[in-house]
Amino acid sequence: MKKHTSLTVKLGYAGTNLMVFLFSLSALFPIVWMLYTSLKTNKEFSLSTMSIPSSPTLVNYVNAFNIGNIGSAIFSSVLNTIITVPLIIICSFVIGYFFSRIEFKGKKIMMLLFLAGMMIPIHALLVPLFVQFKWMGMLDNRFTLILPYIAFNVPVAIFLFDSFIKGISKEIEEAAYMDGSSFDYTMFRVIFPICLPIMSTVAILSILGTWNEFSFALVLNKSSELFTLPIWLTFFSGQHTTDYTGKIAGLVITSLPIIVMYLFFSKKIMTGMTAGAVKG
Amino acid sequence: MSNSRLFKLRAGPAFRYLVPIFSVYAFTVLLPLLISMYYSIHNEGSTKFVGLQNYIALAKDNDFWFALKNNVIITIFAVIGQVGIAFVIASFFMTKLLKLEGFHRLVIFLPVVLAPVVTGYLWSLIYNYRMGVLNWLLNLFHIDPVLWLDNPNYVLYSVSVPLVWQYIGLYFIIFLAGMQNISKEVLEASEIDGATWFKKTVYVILPLLKNVMNVALILCITGTLKIFDHIYVMTGGGPGRSSMVMAQYAYNNAFTMSRLSYGSTISIGMLILCAIIVLAMSRWIGGEAEK
Repeated sequence: MKKHTSLTVKLGYAGTNLMVFLFSLSALFPIVWMLYTSLKTNKEFSLSTMSIPSSPTLVNYVNAFNIGNIGSAIFSSVLNTIITVPLIIICSFVIGYFFSRIEFKGKKIMMLLFLAGMMIPIHALLVPLFVQFKWMGMLDNRFTLILPYIAFNVPVAIFLFDSFIKGISKEIEEAAYMDGSSFDYTMFRVIFPICLPIMSTVAILSILGTWNEFSFALVLNKSSELFTLPIWLTFFSGQHTTDYTGKIAGLVITSLPIIVMYLFFSKKIMTGMTAGAVKG
Repeated sequence: MSNSRLFKLRAGPAFRYLVPIFSVYAFTVLLPLLISMYYSIHNEGSTKFVGLQNYIALAKDNDFWFALKNNVIITIFAVIGQVGIAFVIASFFMTKLLKLEGFHRLVIFLPVVLAPVVTGYLWSLIYNYRMGVLNWLLNLFHIDPVLWLDNPNYVLYSVSVPLVWQYIGLYFIIFLAGMQNISKEVLEASEIDGATWFKKTVYVILPLLKNVMNVALILCITGTLKIFDHIYVMTGGGPGRSSMVMAQYAYNNAFTMSRLSYGSTISIGMLILCAIIVLAMSRWIGGEAEK
């Protein structure tokens, strides 16, 4: 190949890099601004929007715990995630295994119904689910959100497991059955461990889905001790409308665990969230 | 043992696993739809069967159609902003001129993982009249501050920007993955023939990415039609009804005004409309692809 050193090539090089750099900056800056502004007092923030804190303080975080009682919201969010994620993994693995390996009547319809769960606008279920839970006396309970969170996250996970298991050789199970392994043993002890790579993807996607979920948590639970972090944020900003830096500290507390997880597993998260799209 | 017998469903596993898990799913996704259908054909308080009266009221409800119109406008912004810009940025990654590719990828995707509520509050602070980042920027150029979220004339633009900001990375990564699947030889051949970045992108990459583009479009449209969290946090549909969307309208009816029957009717109407739009879109895109 010829080597160009002409001006246009240099300009193209500089232009491309500059444009993408500015674009990345626009993606990153609001988050960086949020992080350092949370270390300012309201007084300092009102004097200058953009400056970095002259004497960083944790007072907003202390207030969030002491006055805002964010601890209970952290507990609710963590508890929901800890209960939901393993259940999502197990349920979607089992259904994914049935879909990819076993022939049965009604399989097509069942797949279609799970697919519908991925396609329908989830907020169309907001009122219906409230109505149903109200009817059955299931509102406002520590475990109210568990079932919806499982049901909403399971469809995508099923299709991830399904396509992963299709790539595993059937001879493994045949060999297991030859050795006298039972159905349950084969599924959970032989195939399940092989699915570890896709399992971690499902786990991460489910954590994101559960931790960030807002609308159902808003509608199904009303008692303040059951607030998850996103609901706590709306409650806090309703109560303390002018406490900007306090609100920003709440935003940081809500998103920091997610950001840290992202920094460790960015590749996995990207492939997981786009897997369906690129293959589709 | 033959393959077919080995992998046939037997009653034991079906009752142990398939039935309970599917029941949970049906209970939380399918049953609510049936119950709200029941609600939607009864009066408020469910004391009387009213037939399609709620649906007729919905069809005549100016506010509902206004909300749908807003949904469509925001979706158009999102398609241009997310899918369009993401494609252009991804195509820059195919030029081999770019430094720090890994860093850019990491940063551009970062907003995708944030909670929609966090994005909403973060941007309502950025839009803040007195202390927001945007009015600070305007002030640098001696431009008067703008009421970003409280002016009915631009509120629809203002609520669309955070959506674009948050999800552009998703489409960017989708396109990048799609572009990396294009065979190197094709791209090199076009370079040897002297194609510029623009020509390579429009005449080589874009046609080869048709399927990925279609999926991205469907994803973007379905994703934006159901938007709720961002709107709830930033404007609640206001000022007045100027940024009202369908999900927010259903929420307001069911929970602020306690009209559960009408709220259910709106939800079902929304479901039907979204299904129609998505079906029409995929038919249209499918038809395009066949030409």
